[in-house]
Amino acid sequence: MDTERFLPLTPVAFEIMIALSAQRRHGYEIMQEVERRTEGRIVLHPGTLYRALSRLLDEGLIDELDERPDAGVDDARRRYYRVTPLGRAVARAEAARLARQLSAARQAFRRGRA
Amino acid sequence: MRIVDWLYRGVLRAYPPEFRARFGGPMRDAFFDRYAAARTVGRFRAAVVLLAIFADLTASAALLRFARREKTSMNWQSIGRDVRYGLRMLRRNPLFAAVAIGALALGIGANTAIFTVVNGVLLRPLPYADPGHLAMVWSTNTAEHRDHDAVAPLDFLDYRNAAAFSDLQATYSFVVGAALTNASGSAEQIVVTAVTPGMFEMLGRAPQIGRPFTAAEVQTAIVISDGFWRARLGADPAILGRTLNVNNQSRTIVGVMPPDFVFPYRTMLGPSGFSRSMAIDAWLPLEFVSADSRSTGVASLTRAARFLSVVGRLRPSATAAQANAELQGIARQLAAAHPDTNKVVGVSVVPLHEQTVGTVRPALILLFGGVGFVLLMACMNLANMLLARSSARQREMAIRAALGAGRARLIAQTLVETTLLGCAGGAIALIALKWGIGALIASAPGDMPRIGEVRPDAAVLGFTFVLSLATGLAIGIAPALAASKPELQASLKDSGRGATTGRSQRRLRSALVSAEVALALVLTLGAGLLLRSFLSVLAVDPGFRPDHLLTLQMTVPARYQTPDQRRALYAELFGRLGALPGVVTTGGTTRLPLGSTNVTTKVGVEGRSMAVSEWPEIEFRRAMHSYFTAMGMPIVRGRGFASSDGPAAPPVVVINQTMARQMFAGEDPIGRRVKFGSAASPSATIVGVVGDVRHSGLEAPPSPEVYTYYLQGPPVNPFIVIRTSTDPASLATAVRGELQAIDKEISVYDVRPMTQVRSEAMAQRRFLLRLVGAFGLLALVMAAAGVYGVMALIVSERSPEIGIRLALGAEPSQVVWSVVGQGLALAGAGVIAGFAASLLLSPVLSAQMFGVRLLDPPTVAVVPSVLLIVAALACYVPARRAMTIDPVDALRM
Repeated sequence: MDTERFLPLTPVAFEIMIALSAQRRHGYEIMQEVERRTEGRIVLHPGTLYRALSRLLDEGLIDELDERPDAGVDDARRRYYRVTPLGRAVARAEAARLARQLSAARQAFRRGRA
Repeated sequence: MRIVDWLYRGVLRAYPPEFRARFGGPMRDAFFDRYAAARTVGRFRAAVVLLAIFADLTASAALLRFARREKTSMNWQSIGRDVRYGLRMLRRNPLFAAVAIGALALGIGANTAIFTVVNGVLLRPLPYADPGHLAMVWSTNTAEHRDHDAVAPLDFLDYRNAAAFSDLQATYSFVVGAALTNASGSAEQIVVTAVTPGMFEMLGRAPQIGRPFTAAEVQTAIVISDGFWRARLGADPAILGRTLNVNNQSRTIVGVMPPDFVFPYRTMLGPSGFSRSMAIDAWLPLEFVSADSRSTGVASLTRAARFLSVVGRLRPSATAAQANAELQGIARQLAAAHPDTNKVVGVSVVPLHEQTVGTVRPALILLFGGVGFVLLMACMNLANMLLARSSARQREMAIRAALGAGRARLIAQTLVETTLLGCAGGAIALIALKWGIGALIASAPGDMPRIGEVRPDAAVLGFTFVLSLATGLAIGIAPALAASKPELQASLKDSGRGATTGRSQRRLRSALVSAEVALALVLTLGAGLLLRSFLSVLAVDPGFRPDHLLTLQMTVPARYQTPDQRRALYAELFGRLGALPGVVTTGGTTRLPLGSTNVTTKVGVEGRSMAVSEWPEIEFRRAMHSYFTAMGMPIVRGRGFASSDGPAAPPVVVINQTMARQMFAGEDPIGRRVKFGSAASPSATIVGVVGDVRHSGLEAPPSPEVYTYYLQGPPVNPFIVIRTSTDPASLATAVRGELQAIDKEISVYDVRPMTQVRSEAMAQRRFLLRLVGAFGLLALVMAAAGVYGVMALIVSERSPEIGIRLALGAEPSQVVWSVVGQGLALAGAGVIAGFAASLLLSPVLSAQMFGVRLLDPPTVAVVPSVLLIVAALACYVPARRAMTIDPVDALRM
């Protein structure tokens, strides 16, 4: 699978992928999850969120769910999103890319301090 | 929550349609979840979150739009960068950003609020189907030059034959109070009118519940308004079939009209038709009868009495002008066939929209223009501030240019920054819009047609959006052009100290300031002339003393059917009121000056050979008890009415001065005998001449009037006036109590001091004056700021020159005068241009002028002087700084 052409992911897109990798969520849950996990350092607003979701959907990194978990309990209008296999691979590649970048940075800064 | 939802939907429109269709719903849910969560924290938090969300929504929408158009993606990315860079620059200059955004929010907000009113009153279609093909038909009176008379029932039926109309219907040309009696027998006042069955169908509006009435139910059916249904009937969904007792007649409710349905508007009624309480509670079917009848809902078939407002639907192929020509032909035939009644009667067709709002258009256009000027001045000031800043930022621009930024990029950068300012101003304006409109409506005259329909809609949202963008671009153009051609070498070499501006830029800034002064002059001249007109109206002697006078209207219960019964009622009423402590004199009339409608009757003088058709129409009132004394109207000849003028005594009348002058020029009217309506009617003797009063308005000259006495014809719906020795408002409760004590079925309404009636007669003038006055003050402040800004710049540029002058021994006062003189020259040029512009724009104001000429000497002298003094004061601060320039310092620069 050619994941390279999707990289790098924007920070917002990457946050969304992380939020969706554990479980399917609807829009507001994504916003809440990102805000919770980053302890409020990243706040997604609906405009940014849905623009990013539309892009991720077009690129096939996430898809929309037809069936709702707990049908009947939740608002029927809500749409749930989950990561596609391609998306999972891209997210892993992005994580690996960031990890390489991070270790390079650590080395560089350690050398700088010495 | 509703306004937020409405804002949200507005912003959503900026998104590409596919995106909107796909994500609009879920986005809305997420949006409200977030907003609701913030609201639980607190109002302030909610407002902050709301602002952030809207900024984000707008930015995302812009990015999506640009991304769609520019697939190559270089441009939108650069714009995104410009936006971020612009935001950073604004954050770095928070004071500048706050001033600019504040000024724009004020300017855009004021424009949006006025536009909302203009849109609701003038632009939105009337609440009828295809309103463009509706027109009103009026009778005209060629002998007395009236073009707006109501139509007689028989004439109306003849006009129905006109081919230009596919349908023609009629309503009373007035609204009336009717007594609604409830099960327990007590009565309350409701407002009704009567419309021909078929009116609702012609207007194209069906009831929200039920159906319109038919011609077969003229005596039994009633259609009620949404307001009445909700307020008095508890919005009962099973209301159809319920009966109402209206004026002692039982009627079945067959329909409830929708909430947005208004008919007729006040301006669709005849000159006799207005009433303050214009919200119609119910419509009765209009029945034509051959007998002579005065009861509500009935129209006697006659050509002599004109009391119908006629509305028609034009055929798709016909225009109002064609309909007019055709009806004129019919009117000529009627004049030939019925010379007694129709000899001088013509006809005139007016499009319904024009009829409804035509009278307020000049005032609203004036306001719209004025508020536009305010925004224009705010823009000029900001452009000036940005020009000053752009010369300070020349180094930055030069560096960017040196690094390869093209001219287009530099222009785009500035424009993006100013557009951000405009949009931020517009966003704040939208948030404040609800309050702004509320305040405007509250201060608007209550009788302004359609003012109740004013509310923000998609058009208002679009207007604000476009205005914000346009404003942002407008303030950016001059600075963008100036910033885009930095002289690289010079700017980079310059150490940054005292960066000078080019000659062309200084000329531009001076021109902006002169233009600002010109706009300020136009606004303040307008405000000055409005103020002078207002004072002229205030100084008008209404012909009576409005202070210490309480007025009210009452309806006599239907039980008092005979004149004798009513005379007995009034005897007790005036007896009780006169005995109240604080009451000096009491009286009453059927038509209250400044506060009620008019009614006219034909009057003939005995001994003159004149056909009845040529008798002049005279305004007719009844005087009750000591009416003239209570009002403070002087008897100028003969006598007023007396208790001896009873039912058995010979009929007497009192006329006013205008009637005496017009009908009895050079003769003594006292003792002459007159007849009303027809030659067969009994004649009455003129016993006195009373002073003129301004009846229709303070600005309208008095008309001829004739008064009869209530003992010789007691009315059923009179106004009562009470002259008091104390504050009239304090007696209201006691007076009401006395009337209820006589009979609890007497309904009393509109209890008001006469000073309030008079004040309401000036409501539109006050409304205009307040707003234009506020615009004028704002204009003065902005002109001062503009002059100050440009003079401060000029002084800092002239520092070396001034330094040399001071070193060569110039007096500091000479320096001050040279600076102030330079500033006054700019302002003077503005004043001259402003005068020219005022002359061009004067037609806009002419409808509002009263008692002053356009070149009113005090206004023309005072306003420019004030403006020049303000300009001189604004120059003074920079001039003082010039005076203290140290020559050594200045020369080193």
